[in-house]
Amino acid sequence: MLKYLSFKLIIQLLVNGILFGTMYGIAAIGLSLVFGTMRIIFLSQGTIIIFLAYICYWLFTLFGIDPYLSLVIVIPISLFLGMGFYQGLFREAAALEDKNISLLIAVGLMFLVENLMTVFWTANPRSLQTTYTSLVFRPFDIGIPFNRLIGLFMAVLSTAGVVLFLKKTLIGMAVRAASEDMVSATLMGISPHRVNAVAFAIGIGLAGVAGVGLATIYPFDPFYGFIFALKAMISLAIGGIGSVSGALLGGIILGLLESLASFFISGGWSDAVSYAIFLIVLMFKPEGLFVRSVKKA
Amino acid sequence: MEKHLLEVKGVDVLYGDVQAVWDVSIYVNEGAIVALVGANGAGKTTLLKTISGITRARKGEILFLGKSLTKLRPQEVVGMGISHVPEGRRLFSKLTVLENLRLGAYSPRARSRFTESLERAYGLFPVLKERKGQTAGSLSGGEQQMLAIARALMTLPELLMLDEPSLGLSPLFVRTMFELIFTLNNQKVTILLVEQNIHQALKIAHHAYVLKTGRIAMSGRGNELLANQEVQKAYIGERWSKK
Repeated sequence: MLKYLSFKLIIQLLVNGILFGTMYGIAAIGLSLVFGTMRIIFLSQGTIIIFLAYICYWLFTLFGIDPYLSLVIVIPISLFLGMGFYQGLFREAAALEDKNISLLIAVGLMFLVENLMTVFWTANPRSLQTTYTSLVFRPFDIGIPFNRLIGLFMAVLSTAGVVLFLKKTLIGMAVRAASEDMVSATLMGISPHRVNAVAFAIGIGLAGVAGVGLATIYPFDPFYGFIFALKAMISLAIGGIGSVSGALLGGIILGLLESLASFFISGGWSDAVSYAIFLIVLMFKPEGLFVRSVKKA
Repeated sequence: MEKHLLEVKGVDVLYGDVQAVWDVSIYVNEGAIVALVGANGAGKTTLLKTISGITRARKGEILFLGKSLTKLRPQEVVGMGISHVPEGRRLFSKLTVLENLRLGAYSPRARSRFTESLERAYGLFPVLKERKGQTAGSLSGGEQQMLAIARALMTLPELLMLDEPSLGLSPLFVRTMFELIFTLNNQKVTILLVEQNIHQALKIAHHAYVLKTGRIAMSGRGNELLANQEVQKAYIGERWSKK
């Protein structure tokens, strides 16, 4: 295999990795926000992404709405969905000391949505075919698929949007404050339900972006969601919990590593490599690669 | 008779099966400095947490301006005009000084008056204005305590509850802190103060309660308790003899 190796190929592998890694990245940002205020890993994140990918798929096949245009429908749907999930499912459990309840609800939600999707759309992989699906740019002879490039733009734009929201708005500040110290936040008059609901809305909103990005890039089936959530979790471990840009960067690094592993080892190994990296990072730098070391007990 | 701003009547507080506060009643008059003193684990912090709604009273009643706080959550208590500076300050250390202050004025009551509150806070603590863009975690211990108090004042409290404001500060800062409490009180802020620095606390308090293993052991005017043989022997004397 090595005799085919060239500089161009390496660049191509890196580009592929970065472009797909951004999808992991925005999923990881969602996980990070929900974890920040609720202290749970929202395991259903990946499955919700797939669900929203199906919504995008439906809008396209049933109504002929362009997938990128469908963002103006999918994002509001997902924001409301996030708010609804919190108010309907997590509100009571979030107030409890025992976070396992919330975690179990997340797992239950994952299986429920997975099964509902199988009923609605069967377990066969679906993919979106548009006029630009196979469109590829070739700057310097390196192939950059159009849909992945748009995916990158969507990820970068939505990350910037989330960062601005968290920095510039009062409720965004409240979300950051509550992530650091919920009790102290309530002493300022901040309602835990308010910040939890906002974190959920943004988290699922990002899932909408990831869903559309994924639908235009990859064939997907209902069961891919759980793996996607695991990948988001690994991205989060790499980037460190609590940093929005760190989470995106973590996703990109994971995408790169997978792309390299699938070429240099084999496609089947790329998942094994990511889980191994997950464990290694947690063993040696549990706070994430981009977080300055914290004092160890 | 002076008006009671805060009335705590016969309150019991339990942590799981362990009772931390037993049938405690305290009264805070409007415009007063009231101190809660006592050894570690006497229930002082628990009592403040119960007033601000972080923990719940099992029995008894808490009234503020005649309205019951017993069932309110912390975010509602702060809206009534009680601000609690918890032990260890609990600043948002990754947020900037200005962001911490903005969140102090989060409740609707305080939000509309943010600009004037900010000016007042910067007037009291000019150093915070200099450091407004810095993260709270990068401040010195004394500056952090100033920020914690400034943030609490942004909520426009009628009653300010301070839990160990002098803890971990250099002697110079401790003096500044007590002077500050005095100044704030002159600006008509009622103060409920929990302190291990009993000597200083009793000196500035109009009224004080001595807590002992969750119960009120003694109460009286600050200077009376300061002169009291028992208090001296139990708390102040011991403190000096240790050093």
